[in-house]
Amino acid sequence: MERIELDNVLPAVFSGRNNIVSDLWLRKLCFEKGKSYLIEAASGTGKSSLCSFIYGYRKDYDGVICFDCSDIKNFSGSVWTMIRQRNLGMMFQELRLFPELTAGENVILKNNLTHFRDEGQIRKWFAMLGIDDKWTEPVGRMSFGQQQRVAFIRMLCQPSDFLFMDEPVSHLDDANGKVMAKILYDEIRERGVGVIVTSIGRRLEMNYDAEIKL
Amino acid sequence: MLWKLLKQHISVAQLTGFFIANLCGMVIVMLGVQFYNDVLPVFTQEDSFIKKDYIVVTKKVSTLGSIAGKSGTFSSYELDDLKAQPFTVEVGAFQPAQFKVSAGISFGGMDMSTAMFLESVPDNFVDVKADAWEYLEGQKEIPIIIPRNYLNLYNFGFARSRNLPQLSEGMIGLVSLNLYISGNGMREMKKGRIVGFSNRLNTILVPEAFMMAANATYGGNKSWEPSRLIIEVDNPADERIAGYFNDNGYETEDNKLDAGRITWFLKLAVGVVMTVGLVISLLSFYILLLSIYLLLQKNTDKLENLILLGYSVSRVAMPYQVLTVVMNFSVFILSVIIMFIVRDVYTDALSDIITGYDDGNIAQSLVCGVILFVLVSVYNIIAISRKIKSII
Repeated sequence: MERIELDNVLPAVFSGRNNIVSDLWLRKLCFEKGKSYLIEAASGTGKSSLCSFIYGYRKDYDGVICFDCSDIKNFSGSVWTMIRQRNLGMMFQELRLFPELTAGENVILKNNLTHFRDEGQIRKWFAMLGIDDKWTEPVGRMSFGQQQRVAFIRMLCQPSDFLFMDEPVSHLDDANGKVMAKILYDEIRERGVGVIVTSIGRRLEMNYDAEIKL
Repeated sequence: MLWKLLKQHISVAQLTGFFIANLCGMVIVMLGVQFYNDVLPVFTQEDSFIKKDYIVVTKKVSTLGSIAGKSGTFSSYELDDLKAQPFTVEVGAFQPAQFKVSAGISFGGMDMSTAMFLESVPDNFVDVKADAWEYLEGQKEIPIIIPRNYLNLYNFGFARSRNLPQLSEGMIGLVSLNLYISGNGMREMKKGRIVGFSNRLNTILVPEAFMMAANATYGGNKSWEPSRLIIEVDNPADERIAGYFNDNGYETEDNKLDAGRITWFLKLAVGVVMTVGLVISLLSFYILLLSIYLLLQKNTDKLENLILLGYSVSRVAMPYQVLTVVMNFSVFILSVIIMFIVRDVYTDALSDIITGYDDGNIAQSLVCGVILFVLVSVYNIIAISRKIKSII
């Protein structure tokens, strides 16, 4: 997958409004592989909706979203399964971790599906982000900031073309944000992934190729 | 790890409930079929080589009729009327030999021979393997079915009083009879080989092809009317049969009608029991589905997250499907074991009552169990997949 194209997209809940001022909604926009984007949004401007449209679990929008020229509204369940295993990595705002599993298990659960990373690499990231002592800790007992780091590592456990992060650093300090940014730079450099980050206040500091106001 | 996640909220109590209910249902169904198979021969004492639901019918022989010289045979009109009856599946006539026959055995240097009569019925009423019950023009050896009584008469009467060896059914099958056929100025000797013993047909049966050929050659091919008919009926307990026979002054030869009734009631009883078993199975299946649905509902978040992680529906459904199939299979295995135990108990009791009791086969009940297991499992698998697709 090389490109994510948005053409005249608008969430169904916004239809009828005529005062929409946005760099993204109702515009033509293209996210390219190998580049990084920041989507800055105020609350209630449809940031999480955008994530769910692009990740294929909501379809209540007007306009067209295409992956390499194929309209994603026509994708079947099995196609989405493939995309979520191979092409698109997502870090959800609500993280969607399993609280009854340990931090390690949460990541391994994803890696078992893709067999993309070895455990050594995963543990290395745990150490870089300062949660190596939490490997056997149930996620339910960790702070949100710690959980964000686990979700971030889980997202890396697949051969993605694009990484999509919805407010990845909302509960993180700058030091951890820098580590995340470094890991992302490595991914862009080594694998040529495209990175799309949203922010509502705290932003993941990187040299973005483009900044978009939602 | 997937299992660790998905097994949460499994209700052991609900699954135990399903397990016990399904076990009851399946045991009842399988035991019903098995019991029917085991007990049926006791009532019917089938001749294995004669079709099951048949009746041999004759006309009443009355004193007046004998004096008046009434023939006691069935006219073609009566035959057609009988064929037209709703309970009749097929009618066959006993064709009598129109020539003289005497049969002899020689063994141990002794010759015994006796005058005999032969009859035939259409071949499709006889269920002996086709090649054993076949007569081709000029064939030397004629297959014969004789009443079992004849053997008893010999073994317990004749052989005892004359100090002759007693013969088993197997031995008789090895001995060949000499059949002396004469009539129409000709005489011939054929070999007869006994291929079966009948409890219920009081006649000596030969293949119809042989009878026709022999009647043409030695009997001058006179026209004849049958005095006995063999009728295949769909249900011997049909009361119209008894009514029809009474109205026309026909008699049945043995207690086949009674046996038929018993069989019919046995079928009815087993049918009722099996229906109850099936209903229980169905209800238990419903419990299982509800339990799994509830489980899926409780785990909706997890299922949704797994799908969003890139797990496919089939992969997420698999643990639940495996769970139900394993449960169904253990129910099946346990049912088979229980069936064998119960069967052991009642076959012991039956063989105490009935001598020479031979239990029926178990294939049918096992097949029933397998069908039930497969049906329930397949439907479970489909239902779980569908449910998961519907909730995410």
